[in-house]
Amino acid sequence: MASIEEYTFLSKGAEAEIYLVDFFGLKAVAKKRVSKTYRNPEFDKLFIRNRTKIEGRVLSELYVAGLRVPAVYLVDEEHGVILMEYIEGERLSNIIGKLGINDVLKISREIGKFAAQMHNLGIYHGDYTLANILLNDAGIVVIDFGLSGFSDDIEEYAIDLHLVVRSINATAPHIADVFVKQMLNEYKIHYVGGAEEVVHRMREISARGRYIDRELRKSIMREKYVA
Amino acid sequence: MSIFEKPYELKTPVFYRGEPIRVLGIESTSHTFGAGIVEFRDGKVYFLSNALSQYKPTRGGIHPRESFIHHVNVAPKIISKALDESGLDVKDIDVIAVSVGPGLGPCLRVGSSIARFLASYFNKPVAPVNHAVAHIEIGKLIGGLQDPVIIYVSGGNTMVLTQGNNKYRVIGETLDIPLGNLFDTFAREVGIAPPYVINGNHAVDVCAEWSSEFLPLPYTIKGCDLSFSGLLTAALRIARERLNDKEHLGKVCRSMRETAFNMLIEVAERALMLTNKKSFLLVGGVAANKVLREKMIAVAEQHGVEYYGTPPEVAGDNGLMIAYTGLLHYLYGKTTKPELVFVKQRYRLDEENYPWLP
Repeated sequence: MASIEEYTFLSKGAEAEIYLVDFFGLKAVAKKRVSKTYRNPEFDKLFIRNRTKIEGRVLSELYVAGLRVPAVYLVDEEHGVILMEYIEGERLSNIIGKLGINDVLKISREIGKFAAQMHNLGIYHGDYTLANILLNDAGIVVIDFGLSGFSDDIEEYAIDLHLVVRSINATAPHIADVFVKQMLNEYKIHYVGGAEEVVHRMREISARGRYIDRELRKSIMREKYVA
Repeated sequence: MSIFEKPYELKTPVFYRGEPIRVLGIESTSHTFGAGIVEFRDGKVYFLSNALSQYKPTRGGIHPRESFIHHVNVAPKIISKALDESGLDVKDIDVIAVSVGPGLGPCLRVGSSIARFLASYFNKPVAPVNHAVAHIEIGKLIGGLQDPVIIYVSGGNTMVLTQGNNKYRVIGETLDIPLGNLFDTFAREVGIAPPYVINGNHAVDVCAEWSSEFLPLPYTIKGCDLSFSGLLTAALRIARERLNDKEHLGKVCRSMRETAFNMLIEVAERALMLTNKKSFLLVGGVAANKVLREKMIAVAEQHGVEYYGTPPEVAGDNGLMIAYTGLLHYLYGKTTKPELVFVKQRYRLDEENYPWLP
């Protein structure tokens, strides 16, 4: 691998550091997963390698399918580095409260549609929150597939929806209701499996957690889940 | 150094300048019956006493009825002990605090019945305390942290939280079993417990020393939430292949512990990044675990933030934390009459406002 001489530190996340690099004239982002001293060294290596591998694969599959995610230029599993397209845009979590209602509704539909298209490919995001969705002039771009994976289990799909709902409730509670309604409508249109089932599971997930009122849980969960 | 040696500065603003306030706290949510007394004097909190007795099952896990019987038997002794150690008489107590949930119904009722009796007989107000809130508040007080990312791990809870708008906000929590429960269930099923804790070490920690190998196990994080049930199933399945092989069991134990702690820490790190807080606070029964403490120190160092772990004396369930939280209730006008105190087996800490929170 050709070494990249020039890079600027951009930001630091929980598990990776982000650098801005010039990749043969392209403005690119390098995501480097860092070793954690608290992890068993063997596990650490395996962990970084696996997450990098999956993230690289997911990103390229989605990109090839025409979904708006950063294009992958290069994946180095050994060092836990992914080199990808630099995307201009604002994190939705920072700006959603300031947008007009029409924009919000348009975005909510796009988020629903993206989720459905991604799930149709058997891919889940795993951290589908407003902080991981960028907005620019062309629309939304979904980033950070660090917790993503391949699965045909609707549980994973329902988690994605659950996370958006929780995220909108935390950042902009006053528009959450319409947002969720529009998003789910759009999801149902584009998801090819049984969308009702996914949405129902999403509601059940929200009633998990400990010490939730028994009556509330009963009203949401079907029999096999009631504890 | 003992936690009783020096008083703690109360950092939350309080407009109380009167006589000293003394609070008796009663804890009986699960396997521990505890009574503790704190005194509030000149803006400082003094720990006067902390007495407790634990129900230790001879086989199986906690049987709610057996634990209840234990509590009924020890309650008078423990409360007298707490009073004796503090050198106070019941009449000197100003507020009776009791943990009303979350917990096991029969056990909770022991504490709340005693609290109602004492309060009505001696004509004192009662502070109905949330057990989870008490764990966190005592950690914040001793650690001197005001706005940390809180990691609360015990036999009944596993959550990562922050505070804001007078409320606790749960960033991530377990969707099925708590971390302490994972360890206990595993230890019980493979036959290395009870006793669950020997000289401050959990059976799983003892067992983990039998091997130094590592084996990958299911690692489940869903957004910021955790799930340990798949890890438990997988660990048990592999352990049962060769139950009598000490080294094999040690390998499974070590790997399960490593995986569970790493999951928890990853969520804590994500919460730190998400909220931009500058410190970590580890509370709850599992906070006494040495391996977890070491890992937390390493994480805090890597991120350049402060870390504080509740000392073992008050990490597990105890009456002192209930007394201190009861004091906060009293200072902020959240006490009530004895006839209005009810137990709540399901009582989430994010469902109510706590006026002393930032």
